[in-house]
Amino acid sequence: MGIMKQDLDRIKEESGKNVSKNWIRVGYSTCGVAAGADVVYQVLSEDAKARGLAVEVKKCGCVGMCSAEPLVEVNVEGAPHVFYGKVTREVAHKIMDEHVCQKKLVENHIFEL
Amino acid sequence: MKQILIQDTNGNLRKELRDFLVSLTSQLRDRSLADTVQVVTVADIGIYQKGIVAKVLPEGFVYGNLEVKHIPEIIEKTIQKGEKVAALALDRKNKQMRIVLRNCGRINPECFEDYVACDGYQGLAKALEMGPEKVIEEMKKSGLRGRGGAGFPTWMKWNITRGVSGAVKYIICNGDEGDPGAYMDRSVLEGDPHSVIEGLMIGGLAIGASNGVFYIRAEYPLAIERIQKAINECYARGLLGKNILGSNFNFDVEIRLGAGAFVCGEETALIASVEGLRGYPRPRPPFPSVKGLWEKPTAINNVETLANVPYILFHGGESFGKIGVEGSTGTKVFALTGKVRNSGLVEVPMGITLREVVFDIGGGVFNNRAIKAIQTGGPSGGVIPEQFFDTGIGYESLQKLGSIMGSGGMIVLDENDCMVDISKFYLGFCVDESCGKCAPCRIGGTQMLAILKRISDGKGEDDDLKKLNEIASAMQKASLCGLGQTAPNPVLSTLKYFDAEYKAHVVDKKCPSGKCASLVTYSITKDKCTSCGMCARVCPAEAITGSRADKYTIDPAKCISCGQCFDVCKFAAVLRQ
Ligand SMILES: Cc1cc2nc3c(=O)[nH]c(=O)nc-3n(C[C@H](O)[C@H](O)[C@H](O)COP(=O)(O)O)c2cc1C
Ligand code: SF4
Ligand code: SF4
Repeated sequence: MGIMKQDLDRIKEESGKNVSKNWIRVGYSTCGVAAGADVVYQVLSEDAKARGLAVEVKKCGCVGMCSAEPLVEVNVEGAPHVFYGKVTREVAHKIMDEHVCQKKLVENHIFEL
Repeated sequence: MKQILIQDTNGNLRKELRDFLVSLTSQLRDRSLADTVQVVTVADIGIYQKGIVAKVLPEGFVYGNLEVKHIPEIIEKTIQKGEKVAALALDRKNKQMRIVLRNCGRINPECFEDYVACDGYQGLAKALEMGPEKVIEEMKKSGLRGRGGAGFPTWMKWNITRGVSGAVKYIICNGDEGDPGAYMDRSVLEGDPHSVIEGLMIGGLAIGASNGVFYIRAEYPLAIERIQKAINECYARGLLGKNILGSNFNFDVEIRLGAGAFVCGEETALIASVEGLRGYPRPRPPFPSVKGLWEKPTAINNVETLANVPYILFHGGESFGKIGVEGSTGTKVFALTGKVRNSGLVEVPMGITLREVVFDIGGGVFNNRAIKAIQTGGPSGGVIPEQFFDTGIGYESLQKLGSIMGSGGMIVLDENDCMVDISKFYLGFCVDESCGKCAPCRIGGTQMLAILKRISDGKGEDDDLKKLNEIASAMQKASLCGLGQTAPNPVLSTLKYFDAEYKAHVVDKKCPSGKCASLVTYSITKDKCTSCGMCARVCPAEAITGSRADKYTIDPAKCISCGQCFDVCKFAAVLRQ
């Protein structure tokens, strides 16, 4: 028996409960990957793991700001929710260091949509 | 902790910005606020040409045209009391509206649960409850028109296909996307694959088809991968196959790859390509809705069209129909590229003006050069000069200006872009992509291109413009498919608006924007040259030599007229004639 309407409702409801408060999304469409999103994603996930941080690093599609790719959206408690653009390996480390750990925004890479 | 985000939105206020930052940090320090307020310079605050702009978080107040004298008030009111300084506040409206891109960038496209969490497949559930007639009725209320270029009402296409009797029918998602500069569909397929699958299923239900086909160009490997994964996921959960969501609706989907020929986006050529034949268009009628894939009734819809469908079913056709303007409802996604500051995808409600899209969202032209026009509709469209930028976007309004909405490419052209060159580019594209089946397109396109080349080489003849018009009109009337019928549009619209520029090429043998290499010469004025040597460094042909004492000169025999020295010289010493 396949999935039913009730199952859809249940998945929806459960995912509402399970959203983690701390997450990072990396734009992972062709525009992002071409600009280096794969490296950024790798650095962020490895950093989060190595430091044992409770932050979930996820892949997502393109939000539309292709000229600012690789684009990283950061939502952690205690600091504003922002987008960082033109993220490099170094900037990715800084995001973990300054934004996620120290709750300070990283200079010169914020893009407001 | 509070944050003050700061940016120079004019791009040329280095000193002012520095002074502002120095003063702000020292005043914060004086008031012992340095540890609780972080001052951050940002890359792009989303506002343009408003001097120094600051945004204070968490309040989110945005202030523009700031000077050092404003600092005490901002600190006293906003930082210390959380109040807004009304006199400095900019009202910042988000002019974008996300329906098609509702999930793009927000969900993990490879995660079924993520999509379901954002009301995924709820539109389908509703559609199954309503039944085909009511679905079509809902689509009619929404006013949705095809986003693939022609703008045919989607409900009507579905209704016609539904009305044709036949046990086997097909619905095809057109993911060919061949317009140069356009990549909206790719982004939707990659960023929210389930929304397109859901749209295809609802369309299948409406027309009475139990087979769906994705036609995607092979140059989109990531889109193909994500659609395939999403399809597999649906099969694994029984959301594709038999008795979907416990109903008696059965639906199967497969992917067919295109080899990247522009003409294969045309529906009859697309069908031939899916059948394994050469991608040749055929005359219509019979229309695909009567005789399509494998001679069965077939509806063909664009990716963006289909991505709208689940939203319409879930939220109701009526509410969708209220977005936009009469005759053009909903939103449109544009791939904004060219000389614009923020290139990328934008989704805006229909009816918004071109100016708002280019300036308020796109941030205007980079380098603050003068804007000349925008090109919409790709090789089937035309240019719209700046004086018409206050036009609201809609199918008919853009057509009236001699262009089309098209699939959503929007390329910004500035004063350095030559209109003869632009039309040569688009026509060259169509000549390359013409399938060659019919003479008007095959021969007409080639002849028009030859004339344009001649004009840009400075060999234009007096009656060339007349000839262009004549051949164009023959192509429009006699070509078999849309490719040939619309290929002359970029030429005609540039001729219409930039006639003087063509005449400058033909009569005076000059290219006013300096693009047509055979019509410009570069030289250096000794009086202005400071011997900085920048031009010699950038010249790819090594045509520039000189020294501190002798200043720099260009060897005309070596110069290839690329114009790089002109762009790089900070002292306006390079002359273009
Ligand atoms: C030369 C040519 C190329 C086309 N390319 C595309 C394309 O890449 N994607 C697309 O959706 N429609 C394309 N079309 C339009 C399709 O023929 C068809 O009208 C469209 O897919 C219908 O979908 P819609 O009603 O949802 O817009 C093209 C038409 C022509 C004449
Ligand atoms: S108009 Fe051009 S592309 Fe279309 S069938 Fe004729 S030759 Fe082929
Ligand atoms: S860049 Fe300009 S100023 Fe510098 S050497 Fe060349 S012409 Fe002279």
